[in-house]
Amino acid sequence: MTHKQLHKLATSWFKDQGWKPFAFQEETWNAFLEGKNGLLNAPTGSGKTYALWVAFVLDYIKNNPDYKTKHKPGLKAIWITPLRALSIEIAQAAQRFADGLETQLTVGIRTGDTPQAERAKQKKKMPDLLVTTPESLQLLLTSKGYDKVFKNTSAIVIDEWHELLGSKRGVQVELGLSRLKTIAPQLRTWGVSATIGNLNQAREVLLGPESEAFKNSALIKANLGKTYKVESIIPETMEKFPWRGHMGLHLLEEVVPIINNSKTTLLFTNTRAQCELWFQKLMHKHPEFAGEMAMHHGSINKETRLWVEEAIRNESLKAVICTSSLDLGVDFAPVESIIQIGGPKGVARFLQRAGRSGHQPGKESVIYFLPTHAIELIEASALGKAAINQVVEDRIPYLLSFDVLIQYLTTLAVSDGFYPSEIYQEVKQTFCFQAMSDEQWRWILNFITKGSQSLQAYDEYKKIEIEEDGKFKVNSRSVAMRHRLQIGTIVGDAALQVKYLKGGYIGTVEEWFISKLKPGDVFTFAGRNLELYRIKGMQVLVKKAKTKKQARVVSWMGGRLTLSAQMSELLREELYSANLPFEQQTRELQALKDIFARQRVESIVPTDDQFLIETFKSREGYHHIFYPFEGRFVHEALGSLLAYRISLLSPITFSIAFNDYGFEILSDQQIDMQQVLDNDLFTSAYLFEDLQKSLNSTEMARRKFRDIAVISGMVFTGFPGKIIKNKHLQSNSQLLFEVFRDYEPENLLFQQAYRETFEHQLEEGRLRIALERIEQQEIVVKNCKKATPFSFPIITDRLREKLSSEKLEDRIKNMLKYLDKY
Amino acid sequence: MTQEISIQNNTFTMHPSGGMLWHEKRMLLIADVHLGKVSHFRKHGSAVPLRAVAANFDQLTRVADYYQAQSICFLGDLFHSSLNTEWKLFEKWVRSRDETLILIAGNHDIISPVKYENLDIDIYSEFQSNGFLLTHHPEEREGFFNFCGHIHPGIRLGGIGRQVLKLSCFFKTENQLILPAFGTFTGNYYLEPQPGNQVFAITKNEVIPIQ
Repeated sequence: MTHKQLHKLATSWFKDQGWKPFAFQEETWNAFLEGKNGLLNAPTGSGKTYALWVAFVLDYIKNNPDYKTKHKPGLKAIWITPLRALSIEIAQAAQRFADGLETQLTVGIRTGDTPQAERAKQKKKMPDLLVTTPESLQLLLTSKGYDKVFKNTSAIVIDEWHELLGSKRGVQVELGLSRLKTIAPQLRTWGVSATIGNLNQAREVLLGPESEAFKNSALIKANLGKTYKVESIIPETMEKFPWRGHMGLHLLEEVVPIINNSKTTLLFTNTRAQCELWFQKLMHKHPEFAGEMAMHHGSINKETRLWVEEAIRNESLKAVICTSSLDLGVDFAPVESIIQIGGPKGVARFLQRAGRSGHQPGKESVIYFLPTHAIELIEASALGKAAINQVVEDRIPYLLSFDVLIQYLTTLAVSDGFYPSEIYQEVKQTFCFQAMSDEQWRWILNFITKGSQSLQAYDEYKKIEIEEDGKFKVNSRSVAMRHRLQIGTIVGDAALQVKYLKGGYIGTVEEWFISKLKPGDVFTFAGRNLELYRIKGMQVLVKKAKTKKQARVVSWMGGRLTLSAQMSELLREELYSANLPFEQQTRELQALKDIFARQRVESIVPTDDQFLIETFKSREGYHHIFYPFEGRFVHEALGSLLAYRISLLSPITFSIAFNDYGFEILSDQQIDMQQVLDNDLFTSAYLFEDLQKSLNSTEMARRKFRDIAVISGMVFTGFPGKIIKNKHLQSNSQLLFEVFRDYEPENLLFQQAYRETFEHQLEEGRLRIALERIEQQEIVVKNCKKATPFSFPIITDRLREKLSSEKLEDRIKNMLKYLDKY
Repeated sequence: MTQEISIQNNTFTMHPSGGMLWHEKRMLLIADVHLGKVSHFRKHGSAVPLRAVAANFDQLTRVADYYQAQSICFLGDLFHSSLNTEWKLFEKWVRSRDETLILIAGNHDIISPVKYENLDIDIYSEFQSNGFLLTHHPEEREGFFNFCGHIHPGIRLGGIGRQVLKLSCFFKTENQLILPAFGTFTGNYYLEPQPGNQVFAITKNEVIPIQ
């Protein structure tokens, strides 16, 4: 069949469904049929599944003209999705087209939810298309004879590549692809990504830098011509506005008319706790919504989530309160209204959410923004401009993630074993490990076979053995089993399952939250008031609470977002514009006029050539507040850096607090600001060296090390049902961190913890740019009598880092002076 | 650097390593060394630095040389796991010492007593002398002052400016003193001191009274 005939085949099926293919879909079909690899840039809900699946089926028809009568079983295509919740939808869509063209192609799913029996069946007979997750793909590589399974695979699609790209799961995919390229020579690799700033790099990471696959590849953009408008929700009187707060419940009534006037409304919150709270309060104040309102977040059980997604699709719900759990994938037709509660922290995320609204292509999408505290209105105003200019962020790929490499090599050693010389070639071709040195590679091999030591008589280290012919192989069944269980451990706080006494799974909560409760205590979860009955192993048994007493709302640790570089730049520009004549300011800034006035009583609202520092004294000590407006992570680093440099001038101990707008250095001594300026402490010279020293005493690397220790298999998280309490794992990785620091600081995994801290947590690159900007600005120091509106949200932040230049012994003695027992 | 304390007219010196000398008996008390733990982890595929093994023995030698006591009494959890090759190093260390060695067995001490006896180490479930009771698990007994381990006591210190420090410590109540874990690859359990308790935090070089 010619390409033209193939096209016709697909288009007529589209026509039968009452659709017409988009230009980007046809473009993808063409590129695929020409044998190209590539990256498709298309938003969720745009029909990307059909762009690539149709392409594969047409290619199959082309190569198998008697496709209607003859069907040779075996795996032919793989679809990787980061969220297993999405797999069902993708499988259904794919099956629909395959059946529509009478191809006899079968579609199967393999994720952590797939029952053992189904998996065993798949092992005997693979479906033609396998929809799976990065972890499950890696698990397939642990089975003996995996190369035969993949031999005839001709296409692999990595969905939501932008999500995977900036994570270690992305590295897992890179390594998996490097193997598949060898064992499946006809493989075409495609990625699907939402709009990010570095699309070209995303394609390079996916296909391998300078690889043949990359040279023969396309970047296809779905231009759907969407425009956005941001509508801020501003109350009548600003008195209602708190200076600080992150729930936004004071504006609850403002969303009611929006919900009432729309067919369906999605309310996006930033955290699961906020989601729970909003749901509870809305239900309480507006019982009339009962049955028409639902909640969707990552810790709610799968059935409920699927039900909610289905209900959004058939528009049977009026409102859904959700978190980023609805950002990804979940395909449904756009809803009428979107409300964003609290700053979304990133432009890309905000636009993605906005894209959920609006109907016909070309029509403007409106998204409502509900600020949770006064200063967030500036963010709202900035987002409005971002939406017009469509500025989006980059996703930074991980480099030299040795923990993932160790996991991967162990995977290969568990299945058929591997020869280092062969695998080295493949690993070197990935983006992540392109700069790996021979020495580092040798270290890794030594680590997995000898535990990073030279041979010592009494050492019994055992993991991977080197067989006589040089093959690296795991022969111990217990090592193999532990490894399989460990793959896919998503490192977070340990999740406990919440279940009714009588049975019935509700969802998961984190251990640290539940450990604060006693039996009989009442908490709100998944929109229900539950009474804790008891904790049994990894299960939390609950009853429906009868009392009406105030319940605690479940909260989760993860997901603290930081302002992106793009977002913080927009925010700064917006803030500076508060100095413009009133009538030239945006509606949001005008609403803040009383707060700006209060700010100007003792301090200033900085302009673009000013850098503001405020100081005041309170019962807690001397507060020094700096305002770079660069986002939480940069402030964390900048705060430590500056504190370290100040501490070189004289012995002093600080604690540092930070949020997205600035940071605070709190001490029992007053800092001489003139000295700070005279000594040029904001210089970007010696940045790396100083950062390294300033962060020595912090916990950041230690926290990073926790994930590394788990991924590389140094800490075992337990067998299912017999899971080691996470406290155990935590203290274990902390203990490990300490012994590495004391006895093996040259260990690559230990060093990786620091590298990740600098590259991903502290964003060293951004930090340098921020310092260079500050060097150009005039520094304005304001000595205030009390906290200003700008400083208030920062000084009340309880997450703090510490830094000290005093001797440990002196610090203790100093603390004793105040005898403030912790 | 060290810290002296008098209990029931006996004198004791606390050492930054976590060991403590009982002057009247010329006995060095050491709790929770957890020898063999590093090797145990390594045997199961967790690459804990091997150098930590040597560090444990170096530390033992250093504090033993410093006090030159008549006897060393281990307050339990001397060996973390079942027999592994670290036992050979332990044998070597034992032979290098002149002190009488005593072990009060703890919950981790699962190695056959015969092995200890072959090294001339006496094993007891507890040890009483002059109104003092030496055990592994903390115990309260009428008429005795108890020295014990097991807990791995640590303390969190908070100061102005919301600073927090976490340190291992000797933890003394009215009739009991819990020794810190001596071993390198051992964690801490953080205790909340009550009025009347005495806490001595240890740093690398000092023992510092807190309360």
